[in-house]
Amino acid sequence: MKNVKRSWAEPYKMKMVELLKMTTATQRKKALQEAGYNTFLLKSDDVYIDLLTDSGTSAMSDRQWAGMMLGDEAYAGSRNFYHLEKVVKDIYGYKYLIPTHQGRGAENILSKILIKKGDIIPGNMYFTTTRLHQELAGGKFEDIIIDEAHDPENEFPFKGNVDLSKLEKLIEKHGAKKIPYISIATSVNMAGGQPISMKNLKDLRTLTKKHKIRIIHDMTRVAENAYFIQQKEKGYDKKSIKEIVKEINSYTDGATMSAKKDALVNIGGFLAVNEWDIFEEARNMVVVYEGLHTYGGLAGRDMEAMAIGIEESVSAGHIKARVGQVIYLGNKMMDYNIPIVKPIGGHGIFVDAKKFLPHIPQGNFPAQTLAAELYLDAGVRTMERGIVSAGRKANGENYFPKLELVRFTIPRRVYTQAHMDVIAESAAFVYERRKKIKGMKMIYEPKYLRFFQARFQQLK
Amino acid sequence: MRTIIEPFRIKTVEPIYFNTKEQRTAILEKAFYNPFLIHSQDVLIDLLTDSGTSAMSSNQWAGIMKGDESYAGSPSFFHFSNTIQEITGMPFIIPTHQGRAAERILFEILGGKGKYFVSNTLFDTTRANIEFSGAEGIDLICEEGKHPGIPAAFKGNMDTAALEKFIIDKGAKNIPLVIITVTNNSGGGQPVSMQNIKEVRKICTQYGIPLFIDACRFAENAWFIKLREEGYTDKPIPEIVHELFSYADGCTMSAKKDAFANIGGFLAMHSEALALQCRNLLIITEGFPTYGGLAGRDLEAIAIGLKEVMEENYLQYRIRSIEYLTEKLVAAGVPVMRPGGGHAVYLDAKEFLPHIPIDQYPGQALACALYEEGGIRSVEIGSLMFGKYDADGKLIPATLELVRLAIPRRVYTQSHIDYVAEVVIDVFQRRNTIYGLTIIEEAPALRHFTVKLKSNK
Repeated sequence: MKNVKRSWAEPYKMKMVELLKMTTATQRKKALQEAGYNTFLLKSDDVYIDLLTDSGTSAMSDRQWAGMMLGDEAYAGSRNFYHLEKVVKDIYGYKYLIPTHQGRGAENILSKILIKKGDIIPGNMYFTTTRLHQELAGGKFEDIIIDEAHDPENEFPFKGNVDLSKLEKLIEKHGAKKIPYISIATSVNMAGGQPISMKNLKDLRTLTKKHKIRIIHDMTRVAENAYFIQQKEKGYDKKSIKEIVKEINSYTDGATMSAKKDALVNIGGFLAVNEWDIFEEARNMVVVYEGLHTYGGLAGRDMEAMAIGIEESVSAGHIKARVGQVIYLGNKMMDYNIPIVKPIGGHGIFVDAKKFLPHIPQGNFPAQTLAAELYLDAGVRTMERGIVSAGRKANGENYFPKLELVRFTIPRRVYTQAHMDVIAESAAFVYERRKKIKGMKMIYEPKYLRFFQARFQQLK
Repeated sequence: MRTIIEPFRIKTVEPIYFNTKEQRTAILEKAFYNPFLIHSQDVLIDLLTDSGTSAMSSNQWAGIMKGDESYAGSPSFFHFSNTIQEITGMPFIIPTHQGRAAERILFEILGGKGKYFVSNTLFDTTRANIEFSGAEGIDLICEEGKHPGIPAAFKGNMDTAALEKFIIDKGAKNIPLVIITVTNNSGGGQPVSMQNIKEVRKICTQYGIPLFIDACRFAENAWFIKLREEGYTDKPIPEIVHELFSYADGCTMSAKKDAFANIGGFLAMHSEALALQCRNLLIITEGFPTYGGLAGRDLEAIAIGLKEVMEENYLQYRIRSIEYLTEKLVAAGVPVMRPGGGHAVYLDAKEFLPHIPIDQYPGQALACALYEEGGIRSVEIGSLMFGKYDADGKLIPATLELVRLAIPRRVYTQSHIDYVAEVVIDVFQRRNTIYGLTIIEEAPALRHFTVKLKSNK
């Protein structure tokens, strides 16, 4: 039995299940029409396998549910807050904590405190809500991710890295004073869940130190990034996920966190900083937007679940199974020749819609079209991450992003390997008949974050 | 009459941690004489707020387990919005992570410099959100509402004559909204009569100003209408509630009060155009329109809670338990707001501690004394919460100096309430030994949450 491959299995078993509704093709067609061909607008009851997002969709553990029962709902000074504060300090290493109802609450507060009109915020690729908050605060986002990140075929292992020369040029052009902070995401979402290397972070730290510029860490998937560092970066194979996470954070000055991803909760987020002055200002501001600084708009039980979830998220067994499942699905899709972003990222598979549907011009929304077709085939809900998500520039012109992707995001601890098989097979079926698929036009466009609520019509 | 008992029994309990008076003296000093800064574990009876502190029912917990956490289109959302549509008659429902987020979105759209939001009395976060937008908040409470010691049936009513005069003075176009808070929290949890709401509606219609209801405690207000207003005795609560909402163009709600939820809120309205604007802002700071920054399970809990709160047995028990504490204190000569409000007993700190000048914050001093004496946490609603400084840095005091003992819903037993009464009475008897306080550090807005003080002992 020497050469037999040993499978990994989930480091947990199921304690509670949620029943799914099966739909027919006719029902799905009707549901999709009602939703204006936007998968965001589908009712979740009409969805069989929901890969819309890995945000807030995790299955909590029995320990987390037990923590829910320990929620202390006092308005001020809840013990769950002190537990969370301790965990954030111990595991993530940041000094001061401001809880928020979710990640965007933290982004809102941070942007309002640090950004002045006319400021430049360089970052390793944009993210929708992050960039919007930067813009609303009067700043301008500048992409400094390495060029490889924009090439779905390139197999460089750390496509989340920053191109330091791009950053240096920006500093030279605008001056360090105009740059309140560098916005660094671990597991860069819009690039396909691609990690940043520890070496790159260290170099970035050295450079920013010289110019006295802060690094603010979008840490929502830091544990998944740490796993890739452990697997692929020299000198880290013997280090634990916990150690790597802490080292990553040590090169940054603060973080915004949506705990709905890595931290395995359904709601919650925080802002964490090492500077007292920023903390104090944030504490005054959080009362206006979120809630008193010892609950930040969260129920006590949700802070407790978050504290426990953070601990679980950095355990070796969990993260291996988590990323392992994503890689399993990605490999299966590659077996079917479906064009996906390589290497496979940490939280989902990103299908290259430009290659999948080369006959549809970007202006006719190939990724949005593909997401609609995938739903029709078997009830799998995915999300567009291309021209619709990118939105418009300040002057009203569309951004035309290089990447036109459909994201298959895998919720944590929710679906089984059999579900993964169904997903890959459905994608293969759609791929078979891809030439018959036509593009779409947008018939309703909201002002902000249009991808959430836009409506479309199929072209004849 | 026989004792009114709780229409429920206890299914889960939470321990209380006891401490000594000496320990509490030290804790208080460490918390800079601000009850908001005390760890909840150091509190015996927490009457800081009735917001988010309710005990949920087993049905709500079952709803928590049923919560569908899909990012978009969760059935929990449809349960939530259908329930609110049914209760308010308003078609557009927008969930938010709590009430202040609903307010902020609304005022960000309607507010701005030169605008006035007129109300019976605005609550602290409501006022802060209005001022944050650059607009001004105006309180026009009826005369009865200004005298804590004199009982009247509807002390939360708006002064309609003053409202009309204000509109004529400032011009209707500068008043984007009239807001009625039910019950009137800052004014002692006192109810607003249906008659008053109707009259305000009439004025609003006449001048073309929309009317919104701050609906946090709509069911408690409806119960008072049933008890005290002519023509409503035999009406079921849902009917009264429905009528109350029928006079409004929209409402904001913190579900942490009359929906028994630990988190959550919403906006409801008739105008589709306004709803569209609200949703655009919602997405930026709260979340997608079918979850608004809430877990799916919380949407379920709110939907169930909104129905439970309208049960008459519950409301009778709820209001009676406030009255019970009020009666005990009145009998001992303690100066309290009368009659008892819907969710809290309000001590009149000006009368309680006449020897402490207003700029030494008698309300805060009283709140601290209650904690020190018996581990009871309450909140000052007076010049610390609402006071401002004039150009010379002199304190402009609030109208009333109150200390609120807010009773969380379905949490404390009659024995707990008896204990609270005993502690208040003990403090009352040694009131001459209580000292005022001086501020040593404060934030520019909503200072009471984080303010630091020292004792003038």
